[in-house]
Amino acid sequence: MTAYVVRRVWQFFPTLGGVVLLVFFLFNWVGGDPAYLLVGKIPSPERIEEIRRGLGVDQPYVVQLWIFVKQIASADFGASWATNERVSHIFATRLGPSLTVLLPLLVVSTALSMVAAMLVAYVRGSLTDRAIMVGCTVGQSISILVYILALQYLLAYRLGWFPVQGWGSTLGENLWRYSALPILVGVIVSLAPDIRLYRSFFLDEINQDYVRTARAKGLGEGRVMGIHVLRNAAIPIVTNVMIQLPGLLAGAFLIERFFSIPGIGREVILAVERSDFPVIKAVTVYVAVATMAVNLAADLIYRTLDPRVRLD
Amino acid sequence: MRALVLLLVCLALRAQAADPAKILHLTFAAAETGFDPARVSDYYSGTVIEAIFEPLLTYDYLARPAQLVPGTAEAMPAVSADGRTYTLHVRKGVFFADDPVFKGKRRELIAQDYAWSIGRFLDPKTRSPYAFLFENIAALETPERYALVVRLKHADRNFPHVLAFPLAGALAREAVEGYGDETPSHPVGTGPFRLKRYVRSSKIVLEANPGYRERIWRGKRLPMIGGVEISIMEETQSRWLAFQRGETDMEYQLAEIATTFMTDDGKLRPEFARRGIQLERSVDPEITYLYFNTQEKIGGKPNPVGGFAKEKIALRRAIAMAYDVDDQIRILRKGQAVRAHFPIPPGVAGHDPDYRTSIPYDPAMANALLDRYAYKRGADGFRSMPDGSPLTVRYSSTPSERDRQFDELMKRSLDSIGVRLEIHKDRFPELIKLENECRLMMRGAAWIADYPDGDNFMQLAYGPNSGQSNNACYRSAEYDRRYESSRRLPDGPQRNRLYHEMARIIETDTAWLLLDSRYRNVLLQPYVRNFKKHPVLHAEWLYLDLDR
Repeated sequence: MTAYVVRRVWQFFPTLGGVVLLVFFLFNWVGGDPAYLLVGKIPSPERIEEIRRGLGVDQPYVVQLWIFVKQIASADFGASWATNERVSHIFATRLGPSLTVLLPLLVVSTALSMVAAMLVAYVRGSLTDRAIMVGCTVGQSISILVYILALQYLLAYRLGWFPVQGWGSTLGENLWRYSALPILVGVIVSLAPDIRLYRSFFLDEINQDYVRTARAKGLGEGRVMGIHVLRNAAIPIVTNVMIQLPGLLAGAFLIERFFSIPGIGREVILAVERSDFPVIKAVTVYVAVATMAVNLAADLIYRTLDPRVRLD
Repeated sequence: MRALVLLLVCLALRAQAADPAKILHLTFAAAETGFDPARVSDYYSGTVIEAIFEPLLTYDYLARPAQLVPGTAEAMPAVSADGRTYTLHVRKGVFFADDPVFKGKRRELIAQDYAWSIGRFLDPKTRSPYAFLFENIAALETPERYALVVRLKHADRNFPHVLAFPLAGALAREAVEGYGDETPSHPVGTGPFRLKRYVRSSKIVLEANPGYRERIWRGKRLPMIGGVEISIMEETQSRWLAFQRGETDMEYQLAEIATTFMTDDGKLRPEFARRGIQLERSVDPEITYLYFNTQEKIGGKPNPVGGFAKEKIALRRAIAMAYDVDDQIRILRKGQAVRAHFPIPPGVAGHDPDYRTSIPYDPAMANALLDRYAYKRGADGFRSMPDGSPLTVRYSSTPSERDRQFDELMKRSLDSIGVRLEIHKDRFPELIKLENECRLMMRGAAWIADYPDGDNFMQLAYGPNSGQSNNACYRSAEYDRRYESSRRLPDGPQRNRLYHEMARIIETDTAWLLLDSRYRNVLLQPYVRNFKKHPVLHAEWLYLDLDR
């Protein structure tokens, strides 16, 4: 086990190296010269050079790349080019709001999807199953933008059940007052694809011999489904949930923009709009590291769920 | 007895002071970048800075066109005979808002604060986007505690506008040095408001500065409201629903859905008028224009629209006559703009509302003009150059959805006169870079007033500004001579006459096609009082009252 973990961690480095090269060359290829964004309305060549010097983009690419590597090693990505705010401060202050919305969203949507998927898998082929699957297909075909616009209009504006948008200063206020509608929207959006996917996981297990054996032993349906089937179907479900975890770092920019949540997703979009390379670099590296770490964690969880899984 | 009088005076003043219960709620459509005046160029940060800091001069809130008045200066500046030295006296007894950086002492505003703050714009380390406004300053001197002497490199009649520039307020040096890199989130000024709470890119809460100097307007002490709460809301739907639900008190960034609340003739729809909602409509002090690169060559290659030979001017003129500006306003702007005839927009000194451009929309005449100058049509319907070589005009724009709409209108226009169009797409910074190198052939541009004087617009076609603000890289000796003369004249009939001639010169050479100036529609809840959009000032909150 330890050898496996060490080997996997060792593999992080070439992967991260690839990410660094890709981000660096993509930004320099498509990002444009940031000096022209920062110089103001009447640029002079001298001012542009001063700004380029100040940002360090006048250095040879090799030097810039080396600075990038050192920033990763020290976890210090400097300051935003657009606002001068430390990148570490951006993450420290924006991650909280994103997680306030996305963590409950992930927990609630996963729990609901699992329960619903198990039930429709149990009544597979019935009218209920077919109706729910048609509903899921239709629901999945609609853009998240439509859900946001419609639910914000109906539930917040017309019915007044929620504030249209906003963000407060305490966790309680943010969680119960301002996050409720964004979480509801997120749950509704993710239910359809998750139910369809998890249903297929449950169906794969329901037809297995061990299920027939369990029933033949006289176990109740609740125990068969809730213990035996669920435990085996949980492995691909865990994979799916773990895949979503690094996304928490990148936030959910549409939800954050429409509901004015000061999260990391909004910040990432702002950084892209402003060609704010320090923020883009940091987000990309953090998401890459988180993805690798979460994949490793998922593998370890498989073994916990099913001791037959070998980590070779 | 004296104590009683003092108490009564205190009570009277207290009664007139800002009411903390009156909080103005509004939105920004984009995130601010920070509140260090020398380091920002975005509208949103600038608006908050305007509420916190004070320049030496400012503008009368109600006078149109905008009229300069003293700000923290005791009076308008004294100008030397050669027009190169400005002397101002800072009002005594003006204090910075209390801040821990002052260690419990009241910090008085002095002339040195302005000398230091204006000097920051010119310091390369500050990387100020507005350094260009201050580049004419040769020296800033403070012979006395309250006296500031500004020496210029060249005489400039518009320099008072620079002193009234909303970002030219005074900072306390010890505050900037004390907060260091955190200065953009710790603004300390002498203005009517101070920053109370700040969540970057989300919430900006200002409160009335209790130490603000006494200013009486219409019998009331300013500011009348106790604070301003600004929420950053990027999405139009969120802003619109929040306003309708009464979560915000004013809203002015709804151009995309203006037809939802406005009739075709620019009035508020009856259902909103019945609710008492107010609409304040004004034209922004800006112009948008299509420019042609007038240089003979671009990057060593012949420029089909460049040069001043008759056939080249004819081609530019034909393109300009084929472009339907009214369609641009009707379709792309959804009616939320007015046709720009004159290079100086409404609300800016030098604007002439009666001036009419000599370039009409007339595709038939445009075709006839091209026929006359031997731009012959080929079998494919497209024209060639008079010498028979292929004719392709390149128009540059960004890959945004909005620019794609402009591309389509341009394509339709040029198709109507048989001129082949190539759309050049690039990222915004790259377009600016190419523009500064005079390497773009045609592009749409916009200019909003830095200060409300015609000079700020007429400099856009001044030859020496090529590669900077003169993005057509237009050089006309006739134009330049008049421009230089205009700079020596005050606002008035003599200067206006020159401006007329200069506008006609641009049209004759067809270096530009003037397009439009956009409307600003401000929606206000029924209880918001005293709002009148100013062409240059944006933090009108100082004068607002809430009568709920």
